[in-house]
Amino acid sequence: MTALRAAVAKPSRNKPAISCNRACMRPSWCAAVVWAVSVLPAGAQPSEKASTAPRLIAGRPDLNGIWQALNTAAWDIEDHVGQLGVPPGLGVVEGNELPYQPWAAKKREENAAQRKTSDPAESDCFLPGVPHATYLPYPFEIVQTPARMAIRYEFAHALRTIPLDGSPHPDGLPDAWMGDSRGHWEGATLVVDVRNLDERTWFDQAGNFHSDALHVVERYSLTDSDHMLYEATVEDPKVFTRPWKMRMPLYRLVDPKATLLEYECVFYLQEQRYKNAPFH
Amino acid sequence: MVAAALLTGAAALACAQERTAPRTPDGQPDMQGMYTRNGVVGLEAQPPVNPIDPSGRNPRSVSDRGDGLGPYPKVFGEGGTVLRGGQRRQQRRVGIVDPEDKKLPWRPEEDAKRREFLLKMNPAVDLKHVELNARCALPGLFQGEDNNNPYQFLQRAGSVVILYDYNHTSRVIHLDGRPHLGSNIRLFMGDSIGHWEGSTLVVDTTNFNDRTAYSREIPYLSDALHTVERFTIADANSIDYEVTIEDSKLFTKPWKVAGYFTRVPKGTESLEFACAEGSQTLLNMFGKPPDR
Repeated sequence: MTALRAAVAKPSRNKPAISCNRACMRPSWCAAVVWAVSVLPAGAQPSEKASTAPRLIAGRPDLNGIWQALNTAAWDIEDHVGQLGVPPGLGVVEGNELPYQPWAAKKREENAAQRKTSDPAESDCFLPGVPHATYLPYPFEIVQTPARMAIRYEFAHALRTIPLDGSPHPDGLPDAWMGDSRGHWEGATLVVDVRNLDERTWFDQAGNFHSDALHVVERYSLTDSDHMLYEATVEDPKVFTRPWKMRMPLYRLVDPKATLLEYECVFYLQEQRYKNAPFH
Repeated sequence: MVAAALLTGAAALACAQERTAPRTPDGQPDMQGMYTRNGVVGLEAQPPVNPIDPSGRNPRSVSDRGDGLGPYPKVFGEGGTVLRGGQRRQQRRVGIVDPEDKKLPWRPEEDAKRREFLLKMNPAVDLKHVELNARCALPGLFQGEDNNNPYQFLQRAGSVVILYDYNHTSRVIHLDGRPHLGSNIRLFMGDSIGHWEGSTLVVDTTNFNDRTAYSREIPYLSDALHTVERFTIADANSIDYEVTIEDSKLFTKPWKVAGYFTRVPKGTESLEFACAEGSQTLLNMFGKPPDR
């Protein structure tokens, strides 16, 4: 974006750079010159849709689209058997065990026992944090441009913006439920560094938790045009004895009609809880 | 020959200078970046007396940021002077611009119902009469709490995406000519289909639910709402905005609202607006619900 703006001639004081609101009327020879100069797509794509060549944006894999995990990590990121309302699943944690410090292992058990009222995402519809948002059973949409990305999540309209401009995590901001994300490409892998995560989120519904020291590094890489490998390295020296890693495939929603809708669970919870308000 | 070459060169140079607006790789006029928005929400002629905050100092008002909740008051206070823009352009049409006299074409019975509704909003007699912003509802097209909450425009092949700082809202405006969603899908943010006309992005939005507020004085629009927005790139740092609001259940004809977007200073960061997570509003208003 900065490069583009530098290349634009400064508009004159009295005449804006674009001097018309409707279809710009210029001599046809002007259109020809301008078209040749300005409408060269970067990483030009042939127009055929059936091309098997990987789609690129500014030379990097195009991750735009709607994606979803197909596992049960949202219920429990470790191996778990089925229960009423909880589908069974294999864990997504490498080594299949979370390296809790002894006090934290106890705290996890307390969380699990109180999950019906204490799970911030499930009982209050609070923002799920990272990486939890990735494997909720709701789709998310990656929005990618050369300089900046965003991820929109259907759950509670959670949103992350991910600058790709090399800017550092800002100092002195309050913690954010979805953290502060800064991205860069390593070859064909998008690497996102996430800090400033609010300590109140859980990793799942089973009470797996973290502190405000949480630091997550995500890696997104296409394994083919409709599948990604997602890896997240989790580091929290206040809670765990060492960093640990989770990995899972992500699946593109290939139905051309696929679109994010709204899961406004805060609103739904209010309708339920305050149905007979006021209470005093 | 030489003269012809010089003439062509000069013409080409002149042509290049006139057409200086950048384009995205897929050929859209490039409006990307972060902007503040101003002017969209305005008063109608003879508005109802605003019972939500008549003196501006009502302690029960949901807009009172002096309640000490969370870090937001501090951040908002600091951000306001940095982000407020719009001083550059002199001529502004803002708020309700059609009809020019601002007398909105209410169906009389709906205007009466609306004024009745307002009287029950402060204090709110029940959940239904709580201002939508106070419930952390998605803001629809109008209620972005524009001071301190910038907008980011991203563009990629087939869509324009608008990210709001306010309540981490986002909209995707599809440019691929797809039809609107079926009529049983009802959304706070509606379903937006757009196309470019020169430097103007025209956006047609339907499928709203009946939970969109235009302003404090117009606390709800109906599910018949249909909007047509025009985002016009005015210069490298400004976008002019106009929206035609059609709601046949409430109004006899469409009306128009205008505003503008101004690019923010370089380096301005987007901040998380975690609305529900910090909100005590319903608890304060109504007390603790039985199942909590």
